[in-house]
Amino acid sequence: MIQLFHVFKNFGSNVALRDVDLRIREGEFVFITGPSGAGKTTLLRLIFGAERPVSGHILIDGINLNRISRTKLDLLRRKIGFVFQDFKLLPRKTLFENVALALEVTGERRSFIRKKTHQALRLVGLAEKQTAYPLQISGGEQQRVAIARAIVKDPLILLADEPTGNLDPELTKDIMVLFRSVYMKGTTVVVATHSRDLLEDTEQRTILLNRGRITG
Amino acid sequence: MRFRLWMYFFRQALTSILNNRVFHAIGLSTMVVSLLIFGTFLILFVNLNAWLGGWGQSLTMSVYLKDGTSETKNDEIASLIRKLQGAEIKRFISKEGALRDLRKALGSHAGLLEGMSVNPLPASFEVIFKDGDGQKTDPLKMKNELESIEGVDEVQYSEEWLKRFKGLMNMVRLVGFIIGGLLCMGILFIVTNTIKLTIYSRRGEIEILKLVGATDWFVKAPFLLEGVIQGILSGIVALLALFAGYLLLSAKKMHFLGLAVLDFVFLPNEYVFSILFISVALGLIGSFIAVGRFFDV
Repeated sequence: MIQLFHVFKNFGSNVALRDVDLRIREGEFVFITGPSGAGKTTLLRLIFGAERPVSGHILIDGINLNRISRTKLDLLRRKIGFVFQDFKLLPRKTLFENVALALEVTGERRSFIRKKTHQALRLVGLAEKQTAYPLQISGGEQQRVAIARAIVKDPLILLADEPTGNLDPELTKDIMVLFRSVYMKGTTVVVATHSRDLLEDTEQRTILLNRGRITG
Repeated sequence: MRFRLWMYFFRQALTSILNNRVFHAIGLSTMVVSLLIFGTFLILFVNLNAWLGGWGQSLTMSVYLKDGTSETKNDEIASLIRKLQGAEIKRFISKEGALRDLRKALGSHAGLLEGMSVNPLPASFEVIFKDGDGQKTDPLKMKNELESIEGVDEVQYSEEWLKRFKGLMNMVRLVGFIIGGLLCMGILFIVTNTIKLTIYSRRGEIEILKLVGATDWFVKAPFLLEGVIQGILSGIVALLALFAGYLLLSAKKMHFLGLAVLDFVFLPNEYVFSILFISVALGLIGSFIAVGRFFDV
């Protein structure tokens, strides 16, 4: 599902990734871990097509991101859900509107969008608060809205960047349960985290990044 | 699906206009004022052209008679005039009639004529020459022929004056193009900046839309529609204001050079649609520039 071949990426003199080779199979749950500045976020952004590698190739579902047009990349992004570290919710839109946004861009029917958005909000336990605004709910709830928006379109791949970074252990557990339920449905899940607690007792594959290289 | 998408874009555009109503109100009113100036100029041009056209269709001459010509002599002169090619006597103005006309034209200043013991105005024939069989009347030749008739004192015609007036109209047209061009550039600048401000106020939403897979077209379309809506609204408001101004002015009788009562007409339909088309096109082009520039950054 996700393949990286000799990927190199730098930002000026700062090298973010060096010669990264990686394969993630369809329906796999993978953690990417490493200290801050190891290149986890850059790796996710490259997979998402938000950044382009300086050299090397990235294939998503068989499509080479180096050779894809901008419009096709937009369409490919509809198959990828991204949970951002800072949630990226719109403060002037309700929780419902925030989640529905991911489906509105596809031009789906309103009744379909309504139904799917309700389902996604119910799945993350926020159906009751759908008319609230992001600033009226807690950080944990905002994270769940971000997850609902990422999964509402039934993505092939779900990418999450430090999804539990600001949450207490109890909420972290809830969020991980959510990711596992998405994974159980067949979605490929990639979670970037520097939290050691999250990786304890996990059977999932863990990729260790250090100074832009895969070290384990 | 396309209709659904357009409905979505339309809703987004309206919501954006409402959310940024101050920017849009300022942009709209400036556009309306610019279109009003342009429209006013067009109305003046259209009316001047119509008046000029009306006078220019036929050559009119005033044939002034010597004082003391008898009625029989007048009839004789009239029949000689009728024999000239294309000539038609529009009316005969007697000395008394000429004085009456002058009194009317002077209006409240008619008292100036009260002290006169003798009527100094001559009797005259108003003669129209119509171009027939593709032959244009030679005014100078006709003037000479008329002046050679016994009992005719002087002949005056408006050709020279019309030529000068046509020159003036060409100048007006040129000034109109320059003003129109400058106003169009001003409107473009206004629309571009209004839409840029609304894009800037929604940059967070745009970023998220792109992250969830919106195509460039999907993001840009509502802003283009905003420009079009602004163009339509300002075009309609400007035309309504122009029409209201026209109704006010046309209620008053317009005199030109204190003589003729002029018919004041509104813009013909093609001009009305042109103003609307120009405002919509400028709205679309302005928003297109704004959207292009913003997304290039």
